Amino acid sequence: MGRPRQIKPLPSGSNRRSFLKRAIPATMAATAAPLLLTTGVSAIAQPNPSVSQHGVASGDPLSDRVILWTRITPATARSVVTVRYVVATDAALSNIVARGNTKTNTHRDLTVKVDAAGLQPQTTYYYQFSAEGQDSPIGRTRTLPLGDVDSLRMAVVSCSNFAYGYFNVYRRIAERADIDMVVHLGDYIYEYGSGQYGSTRPCEPASEIITLTDYRTRHAQYKRDADSQAMLRQHPLVAIWDDHETANNAWVDGAENHQGGTEGSWPTRVAAALQAYYEWMPVRIVDAAKPQHNYRSYAFGNLVDLILLEERLGGRAAQLGSNIGSAAGYFIQSGAYNDPARQLLGAKEEAWLFDKLRTSQARWKLIGQGVMFAQVKVQGAPNSAGGGVFFNSDAWDGYQPARNRVYDVLKGGAGQTAVDNVVILTGDIHSSWAADLSQDPNNPDPSSGGYNPATGEGSHAVEFVGTSVSSPGVDDPAAAAGTIAALTPANPHLKYINLNKRGYMLIDADANRCVCEWWHVDTVARISSNEAFAVAFEVRAGSNHLVASVQTTPRTDAPLLAP
Amino acid sequence: MQLSFLSTALLGSVLAFGGASAGAADYQFSGDLRYNTDRVEIRFDVTGGGDVRLWTDSWNNGLNFDPISVLWQQTGNDYTRVLEVDDDDTIAAGQGFYDTGMAFSGLAAGHYLYVVGPSFVEPFANGDLLSGGYAQDGSTPIPISLWNQPSYDPNANDQKGTFYNIHLSGVDNAVMAAVPEPTSVAMMLAGLGFMGGIVRRRKRAVWVTSHDVV
Repeated sequence: MGRPRQIKPLPSGSNRRSFLKRAIPATMAATAAPLLLTTGVSAIAQPNPSVSQHGVASGDPLSDRVILWTRITPATARSVVTVRYVVATDAALSNIVARGNTKTNTHRDLTVKVDAAGLQPQTTYYYQFSAEGQDSPIGRTRTLPLGDVDSLRMAVVSCSNFAYGYFNVYRRIAERADIDMVVHLGDYIYEYGSGQYGSTRPCEPASEIITLTDYRTRHAQYKRDADSQAMLRQHPLVAIWDDHETANNAWVDGAENHQGGTEGSWPTRVAAALQAYYEWMPVRIVDAAKPQHNYRSYAFGNLVDLILLEERLGGRAAQLGSNIGSAAGYFIQSGAYNDPARQLLGAKEEAWLFDKLRTSQARWKLIGQGVMFAQVKVQGAPNSAGGGVFFNSDAWDGYQPARNRVYDVLKGGAGQTAVDNVVILTGDIHSSWAADLSQDPNNPDPSSGGYNPATGEGSHAVEFVGTSVSSPGVDDPAAAAGTIAALTPANPHLKYINLNKRGYMLIDADANRCVCEWWHVDTVARISSNEAFAVAFEVRAGSNHLVASVQTTPRTDAPLLAP
Repeated sequence: MQLSFLSTALLGSVLAFGGASAGAADYQFSGDLRYNTDRVEIRFDVTGGGDVRLWTDSWNNGLNFDPISVLWQQTGNDYTRVLEVDDDDTIAAGQGFYDTGMAFSGLAAGHYLYVVGPSFVEPFANGDLLSGGYAQDGSTPIPISLWNQPSYDPNANDQKGTFYNIHLSGVDNAVMAAVPEPTSVAMMLAGLGFMGGIVRRRKRAVWVTSHDVV
């Protein structure tokens, strides 16, 4: 500093489609509302010369560090860019506590990822990047707490389909100053081309994404969305992928929406998708040698262990049957569905999960994961009578022996203590659900492994399922009501179902209870600032079943949002 | 660090192409550094004012550490900085994004010192004189294999390799040579009564490490 810097030569370039999507009963799907087209104002930030036109983001906070992210768009093409950053305790960036420099290059698609360490726990920080003489917008983030913690408040989202609508949900979350983080449970991007699954906004590229360049381009488009930028700028993100970050109904060796004959090998496509994902998301890679294994956990003091699962690319066996979600794909738990070798997580991740659950000392074990864990039947029956008819073989219903192994851990026995206070957080199905978790929900006798829907007895944990940010559900209210009326008698453990609203979940946990509020926006067909509290359910410590709750009180001491 | 330089010298190897010390030749020095504060220091002469190129090609897409280099020309009992470059992959084929290098057309005759080390920060050198030292002076050495460099890619956890490969083209008498540590230079100059303001160390650059907690 303070002296002329040697001018050096500039480097140049010698060297560089879901539950209701798939789970709507066919008869219901036929009555779903048509797609809404709009000519409204685009929420895409207009292209500009800013080097940080894709915004800033932070993610995967720990008690002493957090990932800071941006992407550099040089004014003129360059293969290498030096980037500086500062971290401060105030929004004016006057009390700088950390600073540094890094580089990025075209092999990383000029994305920047810094693991800013040496920070204090449970502290809100503000950060900014600078490159090529321009400063980025100021971001805001927060580290995790240690030790005794009074509460956790966080937003939970999933299924953000750019083509299907505007990210009004993200904007509402950006306006909340009192949340500790945002958890995205997957389907952060969608792989389809323009008009293939949503036509409110065109896709970049216009075709289905397959190559590395394709995936990068799609991530870049999502990152240019103004509402996405607003949310990512204000809160640390903890994200996992589901299937659409690669291709619909992905499993370890393929996907419904991958045709090897015309789209190349599946491993090549997965490698491209994950490279772009790690480049463009504020995510800390767990194992650089095995990028598909991103299951991990976060300790929120002694209050919450947030356990995040990978359910697509690490060890999932192929879904059974076809026509998943349609009447032709309905199934019963027989034959291959009873094969214990069919994994959803894979043996290694499954063992890791069981160990995490059994050894956690936290009051709450929140499991963030992709596909619905609770049984959802189109025809109910106790297990002694065959268990009924299921419709979604892409969810845990399609992997019942694997799910039973999870229940074995929750129930304890064989020398193991039961695991209480487990809350499963789920996305994927573009609809809102609250469920008690029972292996035999249509058996009303808890003493024989059944479930009492009036008291919750027999439930071993609970599940909160969040609706989509923008992907479609059963958007016609009458059709949704018809579906719910059909589902309810077969599923006494499902305490709340909403199929026609987009929105997010707000989790508020303390030592005594874990509350989930469902918040819904009025539309995604245009930019709108309207949201409404829908309902709240809670689970009380030690009870392992749901009761109705009320809207929680926002914190009064929330740190200032970033300017 | 002087000790680590010693290890550098021991580990390094040199290949010369183009012959004798009397004429401009091409040289290659390779070896391994151990710590992030290590530096490779190579002396050479230029006699004919010809074209000179100095570069690394060992970054190898992040397999090895990110190098930075500075060229000094001897001026009296000190050295004056000619040029400092962090990244330049345009000097020769085989370089990668973060390799370093520099090229001169008609470099003045004289005695030179080419110094390459892990890229801590820009600038690498504290000032225009060698006696001003380097930005990493005083830092606790960290094994490169355990160090997250400023430019490391968290997605790849890369740049942990210690190997360097340095090329010098169009120079004479290139030798990997121990040179006095900046403080030693200062002491020598003091003994000669030439202290003046030369030995005042520059305040360390603000951007001194990959991540400073301040």
